[in-house]
Amino acid sequence: MTGDPAVQVTRLAAGYGGPPVLVDVTFAARPGERVAVLGPNGGGKSTLFRVLLGDLPAARGTAELLGRRGTVPQTERSRLDFPVSALDVALMGTLSRLPWWKRPGRDEHRRARDALAVVGLGDLAGASFGELSGGQRQRVLVARALVQEADVLLLDEPFSGVDEPTARQLEALFDRLAAEGRTLLMATHDLEQARAWDRVLCLNRRQIAFGPPDAVLTREVLEATYGGAVVTLPEGGEEAVLPAHHHEH
Amino acid sequence: MFEPWADPTMRRALVEVVLLGLAGGALGCWIVFYGLSYSAESLAHSLFPGLVVAALVGVPLLLGGAVGIVLAAVAVAAAARAPELGRDTSVAVVVTTLFGLGVVLALSPESPPGIQGLLFGDILGVSDTDLVLAAILVLVVLAGLRVLHGQLLVVGFDRASARAFGGRPALVDTALLVLIAVAILVSVQALGNLLVVAVLVAPAATARLLARRVVPMMAVACAVAVVAGVGGLYLSYYASTAAGASVAGLMVVLFLVGLAGRRIRLRRRPPLPAAPPPAAR
Amino acid sequence: MQATVALATPLAAIGDVFSLPFVQRGVVEVLLLAVGAGLLGTWIVLRGLAFYSHAVGTAAFPGLVVADGLGFAAPIGAFAAAALFAAAVGRLADSRRRGYDVVTALILVGALALGVILASDVFHSAANVETLLFGSLLVIDAGDLALAGATSALAVLATLALGRTWLASGFDADATRAIGMRSRAPDLILFALIALATVAALSAVGALLVSALFVVPAATVRLWTRRMLPWQIATVVLVAVEGVVGLWISVEWNAPPGAAIALLAGGVFAVAALAVTRARRPAVLVGGIVALAVVAGGCGAAGSSDGKPEVVATTTQIGDFARAVGGDAIDVHQILQPNTDPHDYEPRPADVQAAAGARLVLVNGDDLDVWAKKVVEEAGGHPAVLDLGTKVPVKRGSDPHWWHDPVNAQAAVSAVHDALVRADPGHRATFARNAAAYLRRVRALDAAIRACFTRIPASDRKLVTDHDAFGYFARRYGIDVVGAVIPSQTTQAQASAGDVARLDALIKREDVRAVFPESSLSPKLAQAIARDTGATARYTLYGDTLGPRGSAGATYLGMEAANARAMAQAFTGRPDACEGVRP
Repeated sequence: MTGDPAVQVTRLAAGYGGPPVLVDVTFAARPGERVAVLGPNGGGKSTLFRVLLGDLPAARGTAELLGRRGTVPQTERSRLDFPVSALDVALMGTLSRLPWWKRPGRDEHRRARDALAVVGLGDLAGASFGELSGGQRQRVLVARALVQEADVLLLDEPFSGVDEPTARQLEALFDRLAAEGRTLLMATHDLEQARAWDRVLCLNRRQIAFGPPDAVLTREVLEATYGGAVVTLPEGGEEAVLPAHHHEH
Repeated sequence: MFEPWADPTMRRALVEVVLLGLAGGALGCWIVFYGLSYSAESLAHSLFPGLVVAALVGVPLLLGGAVGIVLAAVAVAAAARAPELGRDTSVAVVVTTLFGLGVVLALSPESPPGIQGLLFGDILGVSDTDLVLAAILVLVVLAGLRVLHGQLLVVGFDRASARAFGGRPALVDTALLVLIAVAILVSVQALGNLLVVAVLVAPAATARLLARRVVPMMAVACAVAVVAGVGGLYLSYYASTAAGASVAGLMVVLFLVGLAGRRIRLRRRPPLPAAPPPAAR
Repeated sequence: MQATVALATPLAAIGDVFSLPFVQRGVVEVLLLAVGAGLLGTWIVLRGLAFYSHAVGTAAFPGLVVADGLGFAAPIGAFAAAALFAAAVGRLADSRRRGYDVVTALILVGALALGVILASDVFHSAANVETLLFGSLLVIDAGDLALAGATSALAVLATLALGRTWLASGFDADATRAIGMRSRAPDLILFALIALATVAALSAVGALLVSALFVVPAATVRLWTRRMLPWQIATVVLVAVEGVVGLWISVEWNAPPGAAIALLAGGVFAVAALAVTRARRPAVLVGGIVALAVVAGGCGAAGSSDGKPEVVATTTQIGDFARAVGGDAIDVHQILQPNTDPHDYEPRPADVQAAAGARLVLVNGDDLDVWAKKVVEEAGGHPAVLDLGTKVPVKRGSDPHWWHDPVNAQAAVSAVHDALVRADPGHRATFARNAAAYLRRVRALDAAIRACFTRIPASDRKLVTDHDAFGYFARRYGIDVVGAVIPSQTTQAQASAGDVARLDALIKREDVRAVFPESSLSPKLAQAIARDTGATARYTLYGDTLGPRGSAGATYLGMEAANARAMAQAFTGRPDACEGVRP
């Protein structure tokens, strides 16, 4: 896992018209690395992702991505009432690869079905997207990013609202994707998840820390990140953070 | 059953109705997805002064409409920049003013007779030239929709992440408004300024109740539009009701029927389980 | 200099305008509405309810048509329709966000289509679609004033009681969800009040332009202040000012009040928006207002009087008769202009002003100019009113186009003569001389036309026109009226496919050679029918009105002669048929 960084962010600051809501972010991720992004709601995770996706310009500093970027947003943001099947959603990943006058053809359909198979939804390709479960929808969105052949994947709380077995599946999937050389950035509230990954980035309107989990997931860093809402769970002494309100969008 | 079509006026009206059904039905799906019903209705109203001026001056309606719509779009964009006002309010301000202007021009004693036709349309008065122009415009709309299909899907599905997938939201917004303007220009001759929104919204809203994927939905919408149009003409023929209003009214009625049917069906179905269907695979 | 002159004329006329009772009623109505419209307007803008308020006003249209057709009070019909609309949207809109705007748009257009069908095909009443959609000062009565006052009072009370709640829910729920789902009571009250207020405003501004009073002024003031109380007060004042000035403009320009107010409100908004962006410069504001005033005043019509007895004639034909008999001894004010359709004419304030000073009013009768009664009533003077329809010998059921029979024309001219003599005995000799000369010409023309037509074989004399206006002419000269594009004596009805197709078939069957568009109606349909049947549509007839000055049909005699020539040439296919028939 050496070579040029897939994601290079240098002294980034970004905002929505007024003073920047996120400042001083500097980190790099190499191909195949999995980076967990922690922070409270409103702390800048979404802002960072938007800059990385090109949806929001950087006010200061730079954010460079090598290769194609893909996103797996929370499924609630999608229009669940759109009459699209899982296959249709996966096919959306082909848009950027086709010239404007071409519609997805046989090749593209095959790639989309393959991607759905990879995420374990091979025979639900024709199912209506809105009628799938939360976890299944999440996987369809991952498939979409795969079809795009994204080298950098931005995942926005992929485990929220997902049951245990599905969560395990998703974890295995992400590991596989990373092993293939893709870079994953995952916004999450789950500290155990973060511990399992390669790097952790803590944001609370500014970068609090970045590095391997052992180095970063200390009490001081967590308190600075979440503003003192760290709780130690009685069984097993695990530390967990209780998010206040889930819907910031 | 085929008696009406022996008459050339009716045949021309039929062609017109089919053309508008195609443009309105297909485009209407995107109007419904993007929540643009109010914009479409407002655009139709704000075209009015352009159409009136064209009729007064003697240039083709399309030209006046095109100029009018550009002016209206500029005015709406300008008004929308006021941060204190919501989008709906600024649209309302511009549209009310423009429509008022159109009415003052149209209803002044000096204006030529028959300008009221612009308000309610004159589907029976379409000439062959009108039909040819309409056909060209319909082709423009359908071609535009085909080219933009991928973009429309991606941006409509999830606007925020669209750019990551190559989507261009600004382009899509503009293109949709332009296509709506073109579709209105086609339909205004037949249905008039006030009723044109029927063909742009009703068939698509009906199709939404029936279809599960986008492209079939567009096809169903076109079919519903054409059926309603033909039905409206039959109604006008046999019951001697006003032609344009019959077509528009029937489109709305079909939607209401579809909605009622769906409500009944939902009520009869056994309640769905609270948890999502067994997923763990 | 120009500006001063342009301002002086209307300034002098302002006093005249506002002395008319119906204009005063209009002003009172607008002032009463201003409180409710201003207050509710701020809530509409704050809560994003512009579409709803526009829609609910428009949806009242079929209610107005039904009320007019069945003869009960308009506000009842309107409110019933508006209530149905609000209930339907509430029930049908999906709980999901997007359902609301689709359902609103569809029920809106459905209501309009229903209204058109009711007006065209069910109630063949004199329901003037234009008036219902755009308002008319002459329609406002005491009931409207009471309703406006009550609504404004309710708006004030509700604002005092519920204002805080409305403000709070404005932040939590957007309009879409509030109206779609089971709304809380305070929200429902707001929606109901808006519906009531738009209904109260319908007579003044019509069903389509309620936003002119309810949205645009509130938006204008909003550009300058965001604090509730100043915003509300300033909006009420602005609505009052724009309403009154808009009424004045509608009188000056002879335009429907709704449209005039809308245009004015928009102009004020534009000026205000400019002034705000350019650092609130008062100069821009003042300059803008002056510009608006100049434009408004400059387009006004100035009246004049010179001591001669004033005679008001409703139609162009009657105006011609009056001028023929009265000559220079009288002043004729003719209400209808050439090519204006008399069947759905909405009288303008200028007409009422003229009637106020008139000594004699000449009316066609037979429901052609039903609106004349209103004009005379509103004018307030005591002119002698002569209904010419009761003086003519030849009648044909309910067909009001009696003047096309020269026998009737002669009777009418005699009646006009008698009335003028009664009104101005001093000029009796002049009137007698003029009348006698004119009657001679009418008789001569009648003979010439008859001679011409008898030379045409009866089987060729087949007439198809735009609407059924030539019954009298046809009967006099032995012409067979095969049909009409709009099979009605009124032009209000929208053509239906059935009628058009039946007419096409009839034309082909009867081998009719020509279809005649009329000068005052759109020729498109007649031309379409002509194209389909192989008939010609080259010849236009003067049906309801005389032609403009300089045209062949600019006088009564010219009109009858031109019609005769056109028909003869079309029937025979010879471009020189009846060329000798001249006024």
